[in-house]
Amino acid sequence: MADSPVLTVSDLTVTYRGRGRVVTAVSDVSLAIDAGRCLGLVGESGSGKSTIGAAVQGIIPADGKAEATGRISIAGRDLTPITDPAWAKVRGADVTSVFQDPMRSLDPTMTIGRMLNRYTGSAEASVAALERVQIRRAGEVLKKYPHQLSGGMRQRVMIALALAPGPRLLIADEPTTALDVSVQAEVLSVLRESIEDAGCAVLFVTHDLGVARHMCDDIAVMKDGVVVEAGPAEDVIARPTDAYTRRLMASRITLDTDRARPVGAPEVAVVASMEDVLTQLERPELDVAAAWQSGDLTWDAFAGPTAAVGAATGLDHVTLVGHVTRPSLAVNEVNKTYSTRVRGRRVDNHVLKDVSFEIGYREAVALVGESGSGKSTLLRIAGGIETADTGVVNAQGVAGEGTQVIFQDAGASLTPWRTVEELLRERIEHTATGKGKTRAEMRAMALSTLELVGLDESVLAARPTQLSGGQQQRVAIARAVVVPPSVLLCDEPTSALDVSVACSVLNLINLLRHSLGISIMFVTHDLAAARLIADRVLVMTGGEIVETVPAERLAQDITTDYGRRLVDAVLA
Amino acid sequence: MPFSRKSTLEKIEKAQQSGARDTAWSALGVGEKLSLIGVGVIVLIALVGPAVMPYSPIIPSGGQLEPPLSSGHVLGTDVLGMDMATRLVAGMQRSLFAALVVTLVSAAIGTLIGVAAGFKGGWLDTALMRFTDLFLAFPAMIIAMAIAAAIGQSLGSAMIGIIVVWWPLYARLVRGEVRRVVALPHVQAARVSGVKGWRLLWRHVIPAITPTVVVTASLDIGAVVMTLAALSFIGLGTPAPAPELGRMASDGMKYFLNAWWVAVLPSVVIGLLAFAFNYAGDAIRVVLRRTGV
Repeated sequence: MADSPVLTVSDLTVTYRGRGRVVTAVSDVSLAIDAGRCLGLVGESGSGKSTIGAAVQGIIPADGKAEATGRISIAGRDLTPITDPAWAKVRGADVTSVFQDPMRSLDPTMTIGRMLNRYTGSAEASVAALERVQIRRAGEVLKKYPHQLSGGMRQRVMIALALAPGPRLLIADEPTTALDVSVQAEVLSVLRESIEDAGCAVLFVTHDLGVARHMCDDIAVMKDGVVVEAGPAEDVIARPTDAYTRRLMASRITLDTDRARPVGAPEVAVVASMEDVLTQLERPELDVAAAWQSGDLTWDAFAGPTAAVGAATGLDHVTLVGHVTRPSLAVNEVNKTYSTRVRGRRVDNHVLKDVSFEIGYREAVALVGESGSGKSTLLRIAGGIETADTGVVNAQGVAGEGTQVIFQDAGASLTPWRTVEELLRERIEHTATGKGKTRAEMRAMALSTLELVGLDESVLAARPTQLSGGQQQRVAIARAVVVPPSVLLCDEPTSALDVSVACSVLNLINLLRHSLGISIMFVTHDLAAARLIADRVLVMTGGEIVETVPAERLAQDITTDYGRRLVDAVLA
Repeated sequence: MPFSRKSTLEKIEKAQQSGARDTAWSALGVGEKLSLIGVGVIVLIALVGPAVMPYSPIIPSGGQLEPPLSSGHVLGTDVLGMDMATRLVAGMQRSLFAALVVTLVSAAIGTLIGVAAGFKGGWLDTALMRFTDLFLAFPAMIIAMAIAAAIGQSLGSAMIGIIVVWWPLYARLVRGEVRRVVALPHVQAARVSGVKGWRLLWRHVIPAITPTVVVTASLDIGAVVMTLAALSFIGLGTPAPAPELGRMASDGMKYFLNAWWVAVLPSVVIGLLAFAFNYAGDAIRVVLRRTGV
């Protein structure tokens, strides 16, 4: 009995019925976790990893829409994959969980103390529980409500709550995904130490192989409901045998990634217009994958075919030659203050303090900083969505063609009831370039831009809701560059995407920069992505640009406290 | 053996297309389907009913207070000997027509003012919303009574009275919705691409608020039927012998003890109308939410 695993899942299959279709979320999965071990369940969206997380907590609803077969056994107790009354004794006692969004799982009407005391029995024991997750001044925290704590603190409280009943099994479902990267590392180490102390088995669900490697003893990689590869963490990471695992590994970008070439495995990184480019280069027979590897083919190769792109889109001002001295974007002493009223008193929040910087012609600049540092406000002012209180923002280009913005949530930034063609045409109509163009001409422009971003004619008639997340971001990018702006402002365009999709979007932005000759302002808190896209990285804290570092020497040259923390946050 | 890998990627089942087509209709519950059918039947009766009934609703056609199921009069006759069934069908038509017009006009006025206030903002917003609040501040029924009494006894004046107190609700609702939608990322993104003014409003904002207005209006029809009947009940509709359900119910009250049907039947019809439209409003909401407009 003592040696048997805490959690055993055998032949688990879960199907969902909805909208007249049957979708198999999990297919024939078996796994087991021993006490004191941590199993990482890694996969991209739709891989079925969260469904397994739900099944072993008995929270797949018995509403007839889900069907499940297979056996689950927790601490020697046999259970069904679909929820039933037997689960009530297990849940919250033998099995507890930490979810992605602690704000949703913590009761907003209760103080932390009241929630914790239920398990620990006394305030002293609760203080000890909070101190175990490295919360200082635990006595004060006990009196607070969830909304009064920061995201990182909430997740620590959540960990303390989950471990308080002394569970045999802890489910951690993307516990740090919603946190700022700089906080993520701290919370992960707290979680790691806490579960080592508690000695329980852990099922760690994540999309991030780097996080899994830091946290887990074993890793199971999932794709389309099936475990494609499983084994000890170091083996899976160092010697992946499955093609999909290798692709996931290749999609991770770090501070050592080669900036001159596309990222991701070759099969992910292939751009749709690659053949055209090779034809333009007069090297149609070139083995692209090999050329990337050897460094034979770099981004600069795309500079040549630009004239062809210009001809295809009907834009004669797309040129890459010539020396331009004036910056594409000049931001001069910009100030912005938000005022709110708290109990009748005016409270000023000075989010931007005399911010000045320039982005040169064809230059890419990344702006990194934590939430609330003012980086997004700066982007919104540069994009004309908000206005500065004082200061000047100047973008090159004729009316309507100075700046364009790509938003973090591409799906939400596309009007759901307009077709892709309508969205693109609308953009063309409202620029100087589009004046007097016929519908057919605009359609041709839209089409060639869609090809440039790796989509084809079939999406023209589609509405945004019919597209995948990656396709939506490509459409959003196509709308922004169908008439190329001087500066493309990107607001964390990859943070909501799966890693392999994120890679292809980063490659696309790089490709557009080199082939259309546009400047890039890239706002992010992911230093690895910033380094990949940008020539210079500006670090922002508290509404000021505190340092400027060349991307080439990012890891070495960054000096500010926050910058160092960001460097450490990029898990190798 | 901690893991077993029984399946391969090829074994993954493809999503199976089941036989039934996935329409909006299939998303509805039984009650919702019945309510939509019920509303269809009611509208049909109201449209063609008066034309096929054998009697006139305002000319006596039989003995006084004949009970239901008496020869020639399925639902009996009233105190003047007019056929109840004919009068009820005619009353339904009047009620339904009046409720539709009142709801449409109120929704139109309210939407216009709400969109102007929410989209333009600034002083126009303040001015229009203060004006709207002025109407909301008074008890609706009392104002409607006062207006209907001032213009004179008729269905038209009752309708005007209700419109005057009904539109502010739409103005408030639509203004809030417009403010919410304008702040959504897709509207900001459209602004960034250069869309502004009428085009922005028409292409990117209005389609988002239409479902809310349509659902609210369809839910309101039932309430307007009730309010119209109430005004008519207290004597502010068209005077007898016009076939108005509220008036028929109040007139019938005098004979309630020896001829229940003259008071009860009109009340039942009022209840049915209100109930069916309320339920149908819910069904419409389900359909609109599904299609994701």
